[in-house]
Amino acid sequence: MNIEEYISSGVLEAYVLGDLPTHEMKEVEANLQRYPALREELRRIEEFQESFAMRNAIQPRGEVKAKLMEKLESRPQAKSVSMKTDTSVSLWKYAAAAAVVIAVVSSYFAYDYRSKWQDAQTSLNDLIAQNQQIAQDYNRVNLRLDKIESDLKVVGDPAFTRVVMKGTPNATDALAFVYWNASTQETYLSVQNMRALSHENQYQLWAIVDGKPVDMGVFDTGIAGLLRMKPIGSGAAAFAVTIEPRGGNTTPTLGTMQVTGSIIKG
Amino acid sequence: MPIYETGLAIGFFKSDLAHYFSTISTIKRHIEEQDLVKGLLARDKSFFSYLYDHYSGALYGVILRILKNEDVAEEVLQDVFLKIWDRIESYDAEKGKLFTWMVNITRNQAIDKTRSKEFGKGKKTGTIENSVHAINTKESVETSIEGIGVKELLIKLPEEQRFVIEQHYLNGYTQSEIAKEFNLPLGTVKTRMRMAMQELRSLIGNE
Repeated sequence: MNIEEYISSGVLEAYVLGDLPTHEMKEVEANLQRYPALREELRRIEEFQESFAMRNAIQPRGEVKAKLMEKLESRPQAKSVSMKTDTSVSLWKYAAAAAVVIAVVSSYFAYDYRSKWQDAQTSLNDLIAQNQQIAQDYNRVNLRLDKIESDLKVVGDPAFTRVVMKGTPNATDALAFVYWNASTQETYLSVQNMRALSHENQYQLWAIVDGKPVDMGVFDTGIAGLLRMKPIGSGAAAFAVTIEPRGGNTTPTLGTMQVTGSIIKG
Repeated sequence: MPIYETGLAIGFFKSDLAHYFSTISTIKRHIEEQDLVKGLLARDKSFFSYLYDHYSGALYGVILRILKNEDVAEEVLQDVFLKIWDRIESYDAEKGKLFTWMVNITRNQAIDKTRSKEFGKGKKTGTIENSVHAINTKESVETSIEGIGVKELLIKLPEEQRFVIEQHYLNGYTQSEIAKEFNLPLGTVKTRMRMAMQELRSLIGNE
């Protein structure tokens, strides 16, 4: 190859100016590898191009660099490995910070809600207890009311005969009533005023039928309203209460008689 | 003198002393081309900053001569530097100088811009100055050359050489485009270009 001719053809200038098609570029590169004289000429052309451009340089306005650097900073740095790491590290930082904040906030709410839950639980237990108490009271009152209603029925029923039993010299202030329905044989006792007995003893009601005492059952004091006693038929003429050992006696201990009253016929 | 005061002084007089300092820094901080490339490959922005300081004028001259519009040229200049930053890996020092690689990117970017719709519109809605230039293309080119300061050099070239170099520098034409456009053999364009560059080289060398 004639080096002089090759150089003077201007192909190296065209190569430097980037004006060659790819296949010619490859050709020039191959020749450059082979001939040092071509490399030397190429270097001269390149140096001329650079110094010519430098000589004819026009300075851009000062703010252009600032804008450029700003653009460079604000761009996502996909190509930079170190920046990538930094980004992921800062992402982890944010994630960790967020996790801590969430944990703290959750703990606070957990604590707050637990306290509130405990308060609510206590209040609820109180309310349940109160409710049970009220229910019990209600039931008790209801039972009493039922009792009073049934007692009133007995007291107001003209089929019942009221027998007043007044105190004997043993207990002059004592007073009790017997409500007796001769046809149905139902008998109720109402204690108005009788003294309390020791635990060993109980009062016992007797009916006097044909001059003989008949057991009508035992009772204690402190009972409100009417007390249902054993039934007794039409033969009863009087009622009496004696003090007997607990559980009752087969025959009355007459010396302990507390109250007595005869049935007034009519 | 404390460091912060030095910084303050420089900052304060920056505009007045810009030229002075850039001259100083060029002398003081001359970086060899291969070190500059290494720095850019390492993604060191201080090397990018140096690259801009060192080459922006030369590349801006190339762009402005082709585009003849400062705003657009500045925009293209920024694109060019971002492209250089992004593509530095594809630069091969075996095949040529860094500047050769950069100026080719620059020229292509500027030419792409002249062919974009956006640039066409910009020209139509340009200043009165631009409109006047548009009336007479030859005059426009000459005025531009005068303004840009290469006229006195190019005027010394023989007409035929001046023509190809003007088409290249001022219109961004490739050699094959010149050949096609003006119906010249490609070989002739190539040799004329070489002769023009040789001539200019000796003219610069003689100064």
